[in-house]
Amino acid sequence: MNKISRRLVLRGAGSVALGLPLLESLGRSKAARAAAEPAVPPFVIFMRQADGVASAQDTQEVGQEPERFWPRNYGALDAANVEGRALDELGDYLSQLLVVHNVNMQDFPYADGHARGALQGLTARGPVVAGAAGDSEADGESIDHRIGTALNEDGRESLFLYAGLPWGWLGGACISYRGSGNRKNPQADPMAAYASIMGLSGEEAAAEIVERQRSVNDLVRGQMAALLNHPALSAHDRERLELHRAAIRDLEFSLSCRFSAEQEALLDEEGRNYSSDNGDDILAATRAHLSVAALAVACGYTRSVAVQVGDGNDGSTRYRNPDSGQLMENFHYLSHRRQSHDSEGSIIPNSDVLHHYVDRQFAQTFRHLLEELNRFVTPDGNRLLDAGLAVWYNDLGNGPAHSPANIPFIIGGSAGGFLKQGQYIRAEAGEWEPNHNKMLNTLGSAVGLRNGAGEYLDDFGDPELPKGILSELLV
Amino acid sequence: MGNGSLAAPGALRWSATHAVALALALSAAACSPDGDEDEDVGESSFGDTTGTGSSTGSSTTASTEASGSDTTGDTDGETAAPNTRFYRLTHQQWTNTVRDLFERPVALPLSTTFRADARENGYMFENYGASLEVDQALWSDYRIAAFEVAELAVGDPTLLAVVMPPGTPEDEASARALIVAFGERAFRRPLTPEETEAYVALFLRAPTLYTDVSGFVAGVRMVIEAMLQSPHFLYRIESSADVIDGAIPLSEYEVASRLSYFLWNSMPDRPLLQAASAGALKGDLVAHASRMLADPRARATVEAFHGVLFQAGEFASIDRSATVFPNAPADLGALATEEFYRFVGEIIYAEGGGVYELLTSSKSFVNAETAAIYGVPGTFGDVLERVELPAGQRRGILTQIGFLASNASSVNPDPIHRGKFVAERLACLHMPAPPNNIPPLPVVEGQTNRQAIEELTEQPESTCIGCHGPLINPFGFPFEHYDAVAAFRMTDNGFPVDASSTVLLDGGTIDVANPFELIDALATSPSVHECYARHWVEYAAGRPSTDADEPLIEHLGAASMAEGLSVQELLLRLVTSPTFQLRSAQELNG
Repeated sequence: MNKISRRLVLRGAGSVALGLPLLESLGRSKAARAAAEPAVPPFVIFMRQADGVASAQDTQEVGQEPERFWPRNYGALDAANVEGRALDELGDYLSQLLVVHNVNMQDFPYADGHARGALQGLTARGPVVAGAAGDSEADGESIDHRIGTALNEDGRESLFLYAGLPWGWLGGACISYRGSGNRKNPQADPMAAYASIMGLSGEEAAAEIVERQRSVNDLVRGQMAALLNHPALSAHDRERLELHRAAIRDLEFSLSCRFSAEQEALLDEEGRNYSSDNGDDILAATRAHLSVAALAVACGYTRSVAVQVGDGNDGSTRYRNPDSGQLMENFHYLSHRRQSHDSEGSIIPNSDVLHHYVDRQFAQTFRHLLEELNRFVTPDGNRLLDAGLAVWYNDLGNGPAHSPANIPFIIGGSAGGFLKQGQYIRAEAGEWEPNHNKMLNTLGSAVGLRNGAGEYLDDFGDPELPKGILSELLV
Repeated sequence: MGNGSLAAPGALRWSATHAVALALALSAAACSPDGDEDEDVGESSFGDTTGTGSSTGSSTTASTEASGSDTTGDTDGETAAPNTRFYRLTHQQWTNTVRDLFERPVALPLSTTFRADARENGYMFENYGASLEVDQALWSDYRIAAFEVAELAVGDPTLLAVVMPPGTPEDEASARALIVAFGERAFRRPLTPEETEAYVALFLRAPTLYTDVSGFVAGVRMVIEAMLQSPHFLYRIESSADVIDGAIPLSEYEVASRLSYFLWNSMPDRPLLQAASAGALKGDLVAHASRMLADPRARATVEAFHGVLFQAGEFASIDRSATVFPNAPADLGALATEEFYRFVGEIIYAEGGGVYELLTSSKSFVNAETAAIYGVPGTFGDVLERVELPAGQRRGILTQIGFLASNASSVNPDPIHRGKFVAERLACLHMPAPPNNIPPLPVVEGQTNRQAIEELTEQPESTCIGCHGPLINPFGFPFEHYDAVAAFRMTDNGFPVDASSTVLLDGGTIDVANPFELIDALATSPSVHECYARHWVEYAAGRPSTDADEPLIEHLGAASMAEGLSVQELLLRLVTSPTFQLRSAQELNG
């Protein structure tokens, strides 16, 4: 018996793939069209890098490391401002970017810099149990989850995608949370992620598929309801069964959530080695995930995507040195400037430059997302990117010091004119003063979240943190 | 490939029967030892456990008196702890179950992959019952997989024949009959009349819902697709609720599923279901369990269990420095992995061994490259062959390449992680997480690796010495005779290896002069046998152990010690324990 190729199954479950140059062909829900909402409601796609960036820093290992990441001057982003910095990889997109300096995380008691950064990054929360280091969990939901459940039709959860080895530091995938201690599982295989967002196009076979699934779903929903009536059901079991019940969805006709045949072939090839320690594989799989993310927001499947690259400290992935053509030490070592979870602890020569090379590769990967979002043109003639946000952020500010200060936030798009564009801005807080939760409030507000009083979201994350948004980022 | 050896230890087999009450010297929170004296362990007489390890390597095992009746068959106090009622199949269980549902020798060739499950902290296996869940992404994966299985099944005569035997008349009565028969195997219990009618109705609608298969076969495909998406397939459900004598007895079918998912990681086979149907399983558990233990599927489960316990998954990333170890094979990790699984299978199945044998047998499997590392004389090819490793240098799984080399840097052995593994996984000694900002290990120059580690982690008055001093390092230093590729060595950086230490075990301390003394102490330690039993009990239950599990764990551990239980016998005891047929009267988390 031959193994069925994945692409045949995709066809079998639906039909011919369509290309999507224009969004007019989108089959948006009748309700949305009737409400005359903006053609494309704002969305956000997060891409997370670990281990900080090669910014200016003074390290014991290398000495005075020059600035290699951030632009030179606050103000307008132009080629001269970013020349020689990792951000110059985004040269074609500077007018659509907002680069924010002085975003500082809270020094929650995670007992490990990576846990503090990775778990707080989208949650603005401290640990469920203090001092648990590599076993930590965040004490609240992540912003991508909030956006999904609050703003998607039927409260569909955010799409959580992951490229990297499955069981690394912090348990591998760790940035997206449903609630306190309740981590979401990612989709690691880009083709499987594509299969799950793909709708059905307008061929006859699709009608049968939809009808069959509805029949099965009705039967299964009845069974779930009966199980939920079991008199001895614990609260814990009830919660899990409810999650399952809510996951059951009828298939929808959608003209739009399909790649062309060529794009599908590319996705298959790039997304093949999503579980690897080779940086080329990981970044290829990330590009595949980002293509799926762009399609998902383009066709209205979701307004919220989180893409995690590498595990809790990206301690397995070895990115390639563009000069020598060889794979470098794993990224975590480079960020420490030492072989430090190796017992040698010896200093890696030029590791500040090597870290910069990795930053460039992440910038190139982020550029791919900007390209994908710019491929789509909305009915009002703008680019899809402008309707939403693409956010490249990090767990840490720099290398060996694992600083919670100056967490990079590189934001593409304006969410329909909500955020400034083409600027490098210093967030208005004191040096080291925690304001990262306000960045999440700002991004959430840009996408459409509001607080209890109907105003801009100002209280996401740990309730002890000062409330508000970064109004200096708004137009 | 070092010269020298450790003197052969004397007879170490624990033979006296005894009942031991164990009290750990450590509290859960602190690592600082109260002292090295014997702890009070209750009424049982507890001999002197501070051995005097000498250079002749005599054993340091204590002698104790039996203070109670022997433990064989004692099941007093064994009861069930609260647990979930809905054990979602793990991804491996789903694959095995579909394989067995269609009675194939290997898994069906599907292209679907299931999104990965997160691991739970504090639990090493993948079957944590209370946390495995079906979210939107996985529901979608299940839907697509069900579609694929159903499409495959009706397209292949061999698969189709399992559901619809040749010669089945294509009428409603046969449809009902095959739904009942297939349903009982898919749901692992008979369908209710309502369920049967619902699937018959679905069957009859099916021809209008498929364009590429017709009539009766469309119905079969529809039923398969639907049943594989049912919670009754995706979860192993325990719905019994009647409390009798303070606990809830499971039904025959529930016991059948518990048994098969534990021993085979898959669904019950026809003999098990037939016995359950006849109400004859619970009364004949020993016979069925013995039959199942002899099946290759049990061997696969046992090997996989040990792979998780001994962290064999980490062997693959063994990567040695080419400058320091120019002769280390590039695929050392793969060789170590194969050696590990063949060793486990050989010891447990071919030789009927238990944890004692796993820790002490010097058999293993080598090829030319690993024979060179072990110093096994003779010529070998590329394929692994069974050999006796040099008896003066190797003793059990802790002296094999996998454990030693995966707990090493590319240059030096890592006694901290070796010690942590032994303390936590073999002796079940708990320690808190390390503090923030651990300094990197220093370069080892002009001293031994051990001295470098001691300088870093055992500075007086530091926070590190509290755990590293008495608990972690002592379990790792004896293995300094094995370098980063696991080759035996008597010197390190030109200095003699110091492999002596004092370990905390069984409520006291034991001095060991070399790794063999440590291994023998572990292999004859009541707490190590109990810890091993604890891991099995946890794996069987799909959750970390709780107080209610202690009687069973103690009995199994004591029997393992006293009777030298083989792993197979231990599993037989486990599944025939009263707890295996019971649910707690208390639900999970109230």
